[in-house]
Amino acid sequence: MSAYISLPMFGAGTGQRLRLEAGRCRSCAALVYPQRPQCPGCGDDAFDTAPLSGTGTLYTYTVIAGGGAPAEFDDQQTMTGPLTVGVVALTEGPHVIAQIADADPETLEIGMPLRAVVRRLFDQEGVVRYGTKFVPAADA
Amino acid sequence: MGFCMRRVAVIGVGQTSYGLSPERTLKSLFAEAARAAFADVPGGLDPGAVDEAYIGSLSTGGSQLGNFAPLMLESAGMTGVSGRHVESACASSGFAFRDAYLAVASGAARIAAAGGIEKMSDLPRERTRSWLGVSGDVEWERLAGTNFPGIYAMMARRHMHEHGTTKAQITAVGVKNRANAVANPTAQVRKAITLDQALAMPMLADPFCLADACGITDGASMVLLCDWETARAFTDTPVEVVGSGAGTDFVAIHDRPSLTRLPAARKAACQAYAQAGLGPADIDLAEVHDCFTIGEILAYADLGFCDEAEAGRLVADGVTARDGPRPVNVSGGLIGKGHPIGATGTGQIYELVHQLRGTAREPSRQIAAPRYGLAHNVGGSGGSVAVHILKAAD
Ligand SMILES: [Zn+2]
Repeated sequence: MSAYISLPMFGAGTGQRLRLEAGRCRSCAALVYPQRPQCPGCGDDAFDTAPLSGTGTLYTYTVIAGGGAPAEFDDQQTMTGPLTVGVVALTEGPHVIAQIADADPETLEIGMPLRAVVRRLFDQEGVVRYGTKFVPAADA
Repeated sequence: MGFCMRRVAVIGVGQTSYGLSPERTLKSLFAEAARAAFADVPGGLDPGAVDEAYIGSLSTGGSQLGNFAPLMLESAGMTGVSGRHVESACASSGFAFRDAYLAVASGAARIAAAGGIEKMSDLPRERTRSWLGVSGDVEWERLAGTNFPGIYAMMARRHMHEHGTTKAQITAVGVKNRANAVANPTAQVRKAITLDQALAMPMLADPFCLADACGITDGASMVLLCDWETARAFTDTPVEVVGSGAGTDFVAIHDRPSLTRLPAARKAACQAYAQAGLGPADIDLAEVHDCFTIGEILAYADLGFCDEAEAGRLVADGVTARDGPRPVNVSGGLIGKGHPIGATGTGQIYELVHQLRGTAREPSRQIAAPRYGLAHNVGGSGGSVAVHILKAAD
């Protein structure tokens, strides 16, 4: 049983999910990511698209024990075991929750440099849903 | 608070034992809590005399999504009473209590009921995993791959990083609250463990192991509120609601500037303290939201009991132990007493009212003559918080 995000809704978010497009508030220039309907700072609802560099540092993280991740990630957990999730402090300022891939959890440290990669998240309605994960930047 | 608000008292409290009751229906659990609440009013109270009822629940995994309140009310002999379902994740009945308080304080109701219920044990594991993972920002938290233990674990790691809080200090909350639950006849987990045993339990979401988390619980609770002027007609020991506060916040933790505090809790606490004309030093005991151990550590500072950096030491030094200077979660909290999601908020009120009346059943549980008790009920990871301050009868 899954949380349902419809294909059109997921599709509408591909700019921010796959190309890391933030919104630059036209009134106060705040960088808003993930995007939201109005600027939390000034309330304006007009934004210009501002792609982020995809670099950042690890702000915090956890390793979710086998079988504990949401049902959408059952296949991934079956294949890879525990799943590492973190909050990434992006270079431009905003924070985002994402999986930390290609890293031994023992080597993770708060503050370590990371970079964004596009990876498979899960399948729903027979369609692979892709999103952004982060990997250690040293491996770039 | 508005200038013309009336004073409000709690005149009766009821609760089922918390535990696993897969064989019982929602109706039978709620009816038991409601009957207990009415029976707790010394002067007696006809269920039909309730003007407004507020029932908190996360809809028990979707088994009863619609017309939740009328179904519960009919089971409790309250058919016909104006009622509605209140949802605020794990803070559902904390908000139900605030709504009932506001209804009486405003003069719109003379008698109001606030309750809550959850039945978590009889769902298929699939359904439980789905249901319990949809109180965050689903699109950005769950669908990145994290569960609730993971969200709180990331807050715990940040607290360790910023303040030097240790894993042992955090897990000490789980040890303390399990120990407190042993003496509570209504608690689910009545088995004490040592800190060494706790730290050796299997990992759940690093740095959390199983000792850092609450479990799956069935239970219901209900409390009855009345305006202060007529409360004495029902009871000689009305417990006054002297402060009520609530707040909300960004639901996803990546949208919050800090992970070592809950702004919604701080707003709710400030509001409740200001209304009561009290400060943190006046609180004799508190029931706080320890769905995960770090939740109680965050609560210490959010409620003003100490600075953020001191919070880990507060529990490790025994300050918040049952026999310490500021007991927290004497009931066992969510970890020891249990966390039937929608029932938790009014279950906290149930504990405080008994403590403030001096009727905490087992003498070893009773805090000596407390005057003020505080309840802190958190929805999700801090997306919603309700705080209430109760005062013992003079
Ligand atoms: Zn703006």
